Amino acid sequence: MAAVTERSRFGEILWPVVAWIVALIFFFPIFWMVFTSFKTDADAVKPEHLFFFTPTLENYANMTENYDYWRFAINSVITSTFATLFALAVGVPCAYAMAFNPSRHTKDILMWMLSTKMLPAAAVLYPMTFLTKNFLGIYDTHFLVILVLCLINLPIAIWMLFTYFKEIPKEIIEASKMDGVTTWGEIKDILIPLAWGGVASTALLTFIFCWNEAYWTVRLTTVDAATLSKLIEGNRAPEGLFFGRLSAVSTAAVGPIIVLGWFCQKQLVQGLTFGAVK
Amino acid sequence: MSDRFIPRLLQTPAVILLLIWMLVPLSMTLFFSFIRYALNNLRRPEWTTPDIANWRGFGNYNYVLNNKDFWFAIQNSVLIVVSILVITVILGLAIAVLINRSFPGRGIVRVLLISPFFVMPAVNAVLWINMILDPVLGLNGVAVGAINDMVAGLKDFPVLGGFFALWPELEPISFRATQTSAYAVIMMVAWQWTPFAVLIFMTSLQSEDESQKEAATLDGAGAWSQFINLTVPHLARPIAIVVMIQSIFHLSLYAEIEIVSRGNGNKNLPYLIGEFSSNNIGAASATGIFAVILANIIAIFLLRMVGKSLMD
Repeated sequence: MAAVTERSRFGEILWPVVAWIVALIFFFPIFWMVFTSFKTDADAVKPEHLFFFTPTLENYANMTENYDYWRFAINSVITSTFATLFALAVGVPCAYAMAFNPSRHTKDILMWMLSTKMLPAAAVLYPMTFLTKNFLGIYDTHFLVILVLCLINLPIAIWMLFTYFKEIPKEIIEASKMDGVTTWGEIKDILIPLAWGGVASTALLTFIFCWNEAYWTVRLTTVDAATLSKLIEGNRAPEGLFFGRLSAVSTAAVGPIIVLGWFCQKQLVQGLTFGAVK
Repeated sequence: MSDRFIPRLLQTPAVILLLIWMLVPLSMTLFFSFIRYALNNLRRPEWTTPDIANWRGFGNYNYVLNNKDFWFAIQNSVLIVVSILVITVILGLAIAVLINRSFPGRGIVRVLLISPFFVMPAVNAVLWINMILDPVLGLNGVAVGAINDMVAGLKDFPVLGGFFALWPELEPISFRATQTSAYAVIMMVAWQWTPFAVLIFMTSLQSEDESQKEAATLDGAGAWSQFINLTVPHLARPIAIVVMIQSIFHLSLYAEIEIVSRGNGNKNLPYLIGEFSSNNIGAASATGIFAVILANIIAIFLLRMVGKSLMD
């Protein structure tokens, strides 16, 4: 018996220590990026300045002056926000119908939607560029970026919403039908308040994926609609020469989304189950 | 009548949008894969426009199948995806169990742990390959240099010095060679997606039936056998979901490969398509069709796994 208490007391101290070490290891690359962003390019590659150096904001000043950071950032905010809103506007009604009025084909439609996400983007890049440039004339517009971001995230959004809606008792929705509430009223007044956690978490995940998307946003834009991933693309080139500058640009690109993620962490955890919890 | 009508109407926009998104580019890719089509060709300028007159039949497919890069790319795609899946599921499970009990600062630990998931893939790759893994300037090089210096310093020690003199000088591993850069990609993507696995497993662990565990403890079952016999079966479905969602994302991995391996020969299928499409659109499209077929085979397999229990 004594041995058991001994072990559990030992575990009580060891457990948080291990958890903290693992967490710090995982966070270290991000910390290092932020840390390096305050070094000059010259200091960043000198081992003697690995930990001790004179911090500078030079890289950030340089970034806003010479690289037009704010234009890229504003484009990222606009495209991610609208893409998320459109994905919800299309996805919520679809998931609602699938969850509360499933037909024989619902499962197949859902699976087909997810399978569109597996098509390799590289395989259709050339036709997409060709179409948007030569026929539709929407290449490098916010409209195109919003549309593409919305479409690539729609399957995941619908799936997340569907799995969340399915947990809501059907009786609640049916009762409101008896009371003569319209479909729009059902969605707006009953479904969304009830499934608020799921909707918020879907919106958050979609927003994160939109913000971080780097295939289409880099290839379907040049200047006007270029997002932060394009800024990274333009700055990453020479190997190992501009660590300070690179870190500052990277920090400024991922900073907003990491902070958003921290604040909304509880929401995200709550809805991010994809139907895994029964 | 109206019972069926409204639900269908509500699904229509999503279905139509995704149908267009899938069919239009896919049919164009299919068409291009059967013709000779290059962006630049001085000797045969007629091949630079997509025209049915340049019909090549299965020529592009033959060309791709006989290209050794194609087989290497497929092999590498599978290696990368499978390695990432194995690492993230195992690490994700371990970490989820680790932070499932309460201890001081658990909230902060959780926030730190999930942070990598929010990092843009392009930033992730730039950060890892330059600042962490670079054999000279990155922490990899700096750390190996520091160890070598330390060993060199210890050589002058009276007795132990003889032992350290035998110590070989360490070489930092370069992650810019063909195969090592695939490992670098695996490492950085696993770093980013382990938090996703942790998030999903964590939510499921919280719904685990505690009374069952208590009964098991009374029966004398140890912590490990409880984990294997109760927790893992409980997590079967979340594991399936983590595997599926990650496969969807990692099969089309591109930014990481492009940044880490530019020109060094490491490639996966999407990257090979990208290489072809700098000029040979015909071959790129044929490779694209192969990639679609491969993705569908995997999709059918994965969707079966998850889809079965989706509707109940």
